[in-house]
Amino acid sequence: MRRIWAVARTTVRQALRMKVAAAFIVLLLILLPILGLTVTGDGTLKGRLQTFVSYGFSLTSMLLSFLTIIVSIYTLTSDIEHRQIYTVITKPIRRSHLIVGKLLGVLTLDVALLTLFGGIIYGATMLMPWFVKATPQERDEVDRQFYTARMSLVPPQPDVSEEVEALYQKLEKNDQLQQIYRNYPKAEILRLLTNQKRLEKRAAPVGQRLLWEFKNVRPLDPNQSLFVRFKYDISVTPPDEQAYGEWYIGDLRQLGAGPDAAGRIYQVPRRDPVRTFREIEVPANCIAGDGYLAIGFINPPLNQAVVIFPIEDGLEVLYKADTFTGNFIRAGILVLLRLVFLACLGMMAGSFLSFPVAILFCLVIFLTGSVSGFVVESFDSLSQNIGIVYTYTVKGLVQLLPQFDKNNPTTFLVPARIIRWAFIGRVALVMVGLQSLLSLAFALLIFRFRELARVII
Amino acid sequence: MDYAVETIGLTKVFSDWWGRAKVYAVDDLNLQIQHNEVFGLLGPNGSGKTTTIKMLLGLLHPTKGHALLLGGDGADPKINARIGFLPEESYLYRFLNARETLDFYGRLFGLSREVRTARIEALLDMVGLKAVASRSVGTYSKGMARRIGLAQALINDPDLLILDEPTTGLDPIGTRQIKDLILKLAERGKTILLCSHLLADVEDVCHRIAILYGGRIQAQGRVKDLLQQTDKRQIVTDAISDAAVDRIRNILHGEGVKFEISSPMERLETFFIHTVAEAQQQAQPTSGAVSTTQIGDFLTGGAQKESIIHKLTGTSEAEKPVATPVRAEKVAETKVPKREGDKDVLRQLTTQASTERVAPAEPSQTGPVETKTPDKSPQTRKKILDDLLGGSSPKEQKPQGEGKEGDSGHA
Repeated sequence: MRRIWAVARTTVRQALRMKVAAAFIVLLLILLPILGLTVTGDGTLKGRLQTFVSYGFSLTSMLLSFLTIIVSIYTLTSDIEHRQIYTVITKPIRRSHLIVGKLLGVLTLDVALLTLFGGIIYGATMLMPWFVKATPQERDEVDRQFYTARMSLVPPQPDVSEEVEALYQKLEKNDQLQQIYRNYPKAEILRLLTNQKRLEKRAAPVGQRLLWEFKNVRPLDPNQSLFVRFKYDISVTPPDEQAYGEWYIGDLRQLGAGPDAAGRIYQVPRRDPVRTFREIEVPANCIAGDGYLAIGFINPPLNQAVVIFPIEDGLEVLYKADTFTGNFIRAGILVLLRLVFLACLGMMAGSFLSFPVAILFCLVIFLTGSVSGFVVESFDSLSQNIGIVYTYTVKGLVQLLPQFDKNNPTTFLVPARIIRWAFIGRVALVMVGLQSLLSLAFALLIFRFRELARVII
Repeated sequence: MDYAVETIGLTKVFSDWWGRAKVYAVDDLNLQIQHNEVFGLLGPNGSGKTTTIKMLLGLLHPTKGHALLLGGDGADPKINARIGFLPEESYLYRFLNARETLDFYGRLFGLSREVRTARIEALLDMVGLKAVASRSVGTYSKGMARRIGLAQALINDPDLLILDEPTTGLDPIGTRQIKDLILKLAERGKTILLCSHLLADVEDVCHRIAILYGGRIQAQGRVKDLLQQTDKRQIVTDAISDAAVDRIRNILHGEGVKFEISSPMERLETFFIHTVAEAQQQAQPTSGAVSTTQIGDFLTGGAQKESIIHKLTGTSEAEKPVATPVRAEKVAETKVPKREGDKDVLRQLTTQASTERVAPAEPSQTGPVETKTPDKSPQTRKKILDDLLGGSSPKEQKPQGEGKEGDSGHA
């Protein structure tokens, strides 16, 4: 272990001497405070905070990701190219220990820099209300809607398999399948029909209602607020792009119980812009003692169009479950997990590629991982024609790609949505336990048998 | 038999990008270097010296054959713990300073803090870089980098020292110092593989040599056996009178041999060392390496001091690199071969008349000649420069190792 730490210490020194590392560090040290002073968001304190955290965290995460890739590749390829490896590997240190030592050095640097810049972002975020001289109302609002960590509940997807199967049979019987879905494989048709049916369940025609029920809702403090975050879509967009809605939130099981009902039910009439996230805040005491909560939405005749709640993000319930600080630390851990993966990837690339090629390789993986949802969907659409080939070749590799966009910490911090430890555990298991270790294993395997003084004529 | 270094049919073929064999860098090399031997691997550029060393150390994989270091694989950390390696250039981290560099390598050997600190100071003293130890290695001249490279190769007090072109870029004092160091380490039972194309350096210190060309051994054997001119004799005397010279001439004339009498010139190396030593005594400032003639205590028998440190600090023996028992605690800096056997011949020559030159005749068969060994006080180890300046001809400075006693003693 002493030898591994010796390599790690030298790697940190090497990284700090790199001009690109110094440039990144100085850039962040300058940009983060400037960002804190200049962002305005939508003009409100909450918008300002959300914009700063979003930009600050994204910028830090991106630059540290680039830095990790560069340092992890450089530390290995530079030793080989400049032949310092000759005097190191001929000492009593195993090649695997050398790799692990360098990895440890890169990660030590990452943790130090992430702590530094995370601390700057956190400090600026906490001081911003004081800095902008926010009113008590604004402070109260951000305390409830930003400086918090809220549990997110989304309605479960309804089981529509029977309806889909029946619809498929009907279309087939009426010879409509080929008219509507020409040359589509059956699996793809079923997928499209399933989406269609699910969307129908999230659509409220004029005068009709939608009902969502949640169980086991346990807020940290029942005296705090409960938030319904939603986004409307509408079949015919009104000229002012506003839609009406009649909301009922509480224990709707007791609607018939009259004034003696134990639980509270809040009726909230709203008029909100379409295709924009909005939040309804009600006291959390509307949740029943057994954790039951229902949300009803009625599409009033004023709309004169069908209101639809998108399947992915049309509606969610938020309530306070932890503190902002705890959530912020977990957001930092999410970034760190990403950096661990990138460091291992860099080690793997550096173990057999030259510096520029390894950088290119890692950047492609990084950028692909940053838009993994798009990539997976693109390959899935390709599979309509080359299904078998895709399934047995590319699909496996695509699944091995990291999915940075699905665990982006700003998507949690901005809406003050809690990052649960279970979620971090899952990400760690996949990104570190599987993808990172796989990369590291490749690096160790390749480096163990590599001819370090190889000459190709 | 157990060898310090052994290669069996070692072959390395370098290929092109398509994997086609292009160059036989080393071809069926069979080499055996015994323990406690200073072995020189000679050859012109591209003869396969460095490739051989890289295969010995596991930096390259042999195409065919095997390479063994200290009876094991050169890539095995247990073997590496007993080896010191100085590559053909000092490949060091430019951002570390000299002290940090040695500390890093000391840590790789698992040396305790106390041992590391002691050795780093001793080595910095030895290579004359103590005054610039806080400067990053990237700012060093080639010679200074070479010195710190040598220091890193010695920090574990290795049993086997592999030096690839160790004197490249060094000033004459540094060169002399390395040669002295090699002799001292050899006397302590260390094995040294010296790879060089500077023939004079190799000749001065090596017991045996092998000459490589085209990846194959062209000649191999003891330096004495390979270089001795059995058909010629050389006699070196103190200043003698012209009359004595004339008498020698007459004798040689009578023998009918071709001869030449002249006053030997001082070696430029000796003159240079003398000049620099004088400048140092006047304490003239320098931003480079300070020329010293010190050898680290732990390399010359100071291992006993370290043992005490270990006992006092409780450092386990397992942390120490394996050290070969020290054969001699203190050794004289310069060994002069004895030539007592030729004294009688010299006396006879100086009492007879001489002629200027005589036509060559049958070469006379004479026995070994002995010369007086200069007085060596215990302080000489600290005053190597004085010894060097007061030393005799270059031949007299050859090591008195095994098989060397007759090298310069034949007249």
